[in-house]
Amino acid sequence: MTTNIKVPEFPKRKKKLYAQDIKDRFISAFIAIFAIVWVFPIVWTLWSSLRPYKEIRAGGVFSPPQELGFFNYEDAIGRMELPTYFANTALITLPAVFLTLLFGSLMAFVVTRYSFKLNVAMLLLFTAGNMLPPQLVFIPVFKLYLILGDLVGDRRFLYDNHWGVVLIHVAFQMGFATFVLSSYMKTIPKEISESAMVDGASVFTHYWRVMLPLLRPPLASLAVLMTTWIYNDFFWALVLMSTDSKRPITSALGRLQGEFVTDYNLLAAGAMIAAIPTLIVFFVMRKQFVGGLTLGSTKG
Amino acid sequence: MLNKISNHEVDRRLVLKGAAAGGLGIAGATMLAGCAGSTGPISFGARTVDESPTIQLKGLVDAYVAKTGNEVTYNATESNAFQNNLSQYLQGTPDDCFQWMAGYRMQFFAAQGLLVDISDVWDEIGDQYNESYKIASTGLDGKQYFVPQSWYPWGLHFRKSMMAEIGMNPEDIYNWDDFMSALGELKAQGLIGLASADKGGWEAMGTFDILNARINGYQFHVDLLGGREKWTDDRVKEVFRHWEMLLPYMNTNVLDLEWDGAMQLLLQRQSGFFFNGSWFGGNFLEQSQEDYDDLWIVPFPEINPDHARDTIDAPIDGFCVAKNGANNDGGKDLIKFAGDMEGVQAMLDTGIPMTSANNGQDRSSYDAFQTQQLAVMNEAKYITQFLDRDTRPDFAGPVVGPALQSWFKDPSSTDEILESLQSQWDALPPL
Repeated sequence: MTTNIKVPEFPKRKKKLYAQDIKDRFISAFIAIFAIVWVFPIVWTLWSSLRPYKEIRAGGVFSPPQELGFFNYEDAIGRMELPTYFANTALITLPAVFLTLLFGSLMAFVVTRYSFKLNVAMLLLFTAGNMLPPQLVFIPVFKLYLILGDLVGDRRFLYDNHWGVVLIHVAFQMGFATFVLSSYMKTIPKEISESAMVDGASVFTHYWRVMLPLLRPPLASLAVLMTTWIYNDFFWALVLMSTDSKRPITSALGRLQGEFVTDYNLLAAGAMIAAIPTLIVFFVMRKQFVGGLTLGSTKG
Repeated sequence: MLNKISNHEVDRRLVLKGAAAGGLGIAGATMLAGCAGSTGPISFGARTVDESPTIQLKGLVDAYVAKTGNEVTYNATESNAFQNNLSQYLQGTPDDCFQWMAGYRMQFFAAQGLLVDISDVWDEIGDQYNESYKIASTGLDGKQYFVPQSWYPWGLHFRKSMMAEIGMNPEDIYNWDDFMSALGELKAQGLIGLASADKGGWEAMGTFDILNARINGYQFHVDLLGGREKWTDDRVKEVFRHWEMLLPYMNTNVLDLEWDGAMQLLLQRQSGFFFNGSWFGGNFLEQSQEDYDDLWIVPFPEINPDHARDTIDAPIDGFCVAKNGANNDGGKDLIKFAGDMEGVQAMLDTGIPMTSANNGQDRSSYDAFQTQQLAVMNEAKYITQFLDRDTRPDFAGPVVGPALQSWFKDPSSTDEILESLQSQWDALPPL
């Protein structure tokens, strides 16, 4: 009897395991395909950056390599003037991220913790502003910067100035920051705020001593996301600055391009160099980065 | 790149040279100090970060600083970024003197009041230039806004050794029939007749320019690009009819190649001719001296005897002074120096090959290929600047470029493409 019972049970369990196994393999294969699709351009860039352009010109992209080395990197480092451009990037990115988070959290705090007539409308306005493509608004912004500059008496007041680019980044990123932070704040029990108010905390103390410490996880994720976004920006620095030596690292890549000829292998080396800081930020803070992707998706 | 070249950091040799000029120099130097010393710091905007032109331009700026003692800041921007951003650049905080191009591309910004009238500079240095350069430097209002630096011609390039092997002498190709039979012979040898590219959208504009100028003449070409003639004109259709005759002798992947891909076909001896601007000689030289010495140029063949070979695309590069710059007087002083033989000599002294627009350049220093470029240039009576420099910037790149590309996809649709070109011209906002 017992054997009779066990026999049908055993293959059944095995079959179940087997199905799970197929599923796992299927998923693995799927992930592998996507991983290859994602990794391929990076590996190809890395591969190209190690080869001389002369060889590609003579034999094509798929020709077997005769010469491999870091010569493109040496050349790129020499021509890109990295210290200047990395410093420019830092001068733009760090204040922009800091101000975005500061203003975004203030905005989110007011919109979620205090109810007044316009708070939903304000939240919508900020989010909608985020949807505008920058190409659409850059001419008015450019003219505005010039007019403001003329009013102050110095055309370089905002235009062709790091602060002008910082401000436009803050304006564009604040919508997203507000949106994410306010949806996170909604998950923080109202009782905490109520008890703070009962204890006589002022609005600012309420924000600074009670809410801000609780916002640490979303602030960290946002900081990582914003840093990579602002770091990668090319457009605003191009249109709002006229002196190339003030522009960030992304435009230094242009220095590797010639008027008529572009040495793509050299450019590949430059791109790898320019990507290093974002990679560092990612590896140091990858927990927050992944957290940032799902922020607001489940907690809203 | 911010490179402050103040009078404290002048190259020692230049100072010594200046000292050597001695007695003659003193009178001149005090005079200059009187008129130019008061201009204050000047900024110079270079439209390139390439190695050779940078050496050349810094040679110019250094010589100016050594001569006048004025402080000059050298700002370099990569050429594509500079070009795409020029409108904002000129409206915002431009450099006082900057590197730009002649023709409509200059006139367009001059008409908007963004450039400084430098007719008085031309009064002083004008006798060093041929009339055709003055015309190319003149705005629509008849005043000068530009000082030319150098030029290069568009022509039929080939490799001498390759043609000798085939037993063909391209110097004998005078008219269209000669050209067609030469192409036929190349094809019979299994070669590409005419290497072509149009991936970038602008490469084929050169072929359009020359065919139109050969078939319909200079005046019609200029009028067409200025909107005074219609693209739907039968004469324009004739251009495309001739172009179609060339298609069988071209490489089939025209739309997949950028200009340097087509150059490769010539470099690797897969193609007989390559119609392009002579600047790519520099790339041949980069490959090897032997390849450079093998390179030659002849004018595009005659098609209509009425116009013979009287027109050539020879884009001129040079300098302008920006109205919104902080120091217009300083900019004018610098541009005068750049246009004067003294400044030209400073650029030539850097050893970077240049075909200068200035008559004072010692042409005996030209190498064989440069001398031939000059010969090709001299055969022409009229100089055009290239389609994207001769017409509205919002028409050339965004409209003509894609139109030529779609023509390569389907040459039988010439009529529709030309109609669409004309309607897009008509739809452009007035300037």
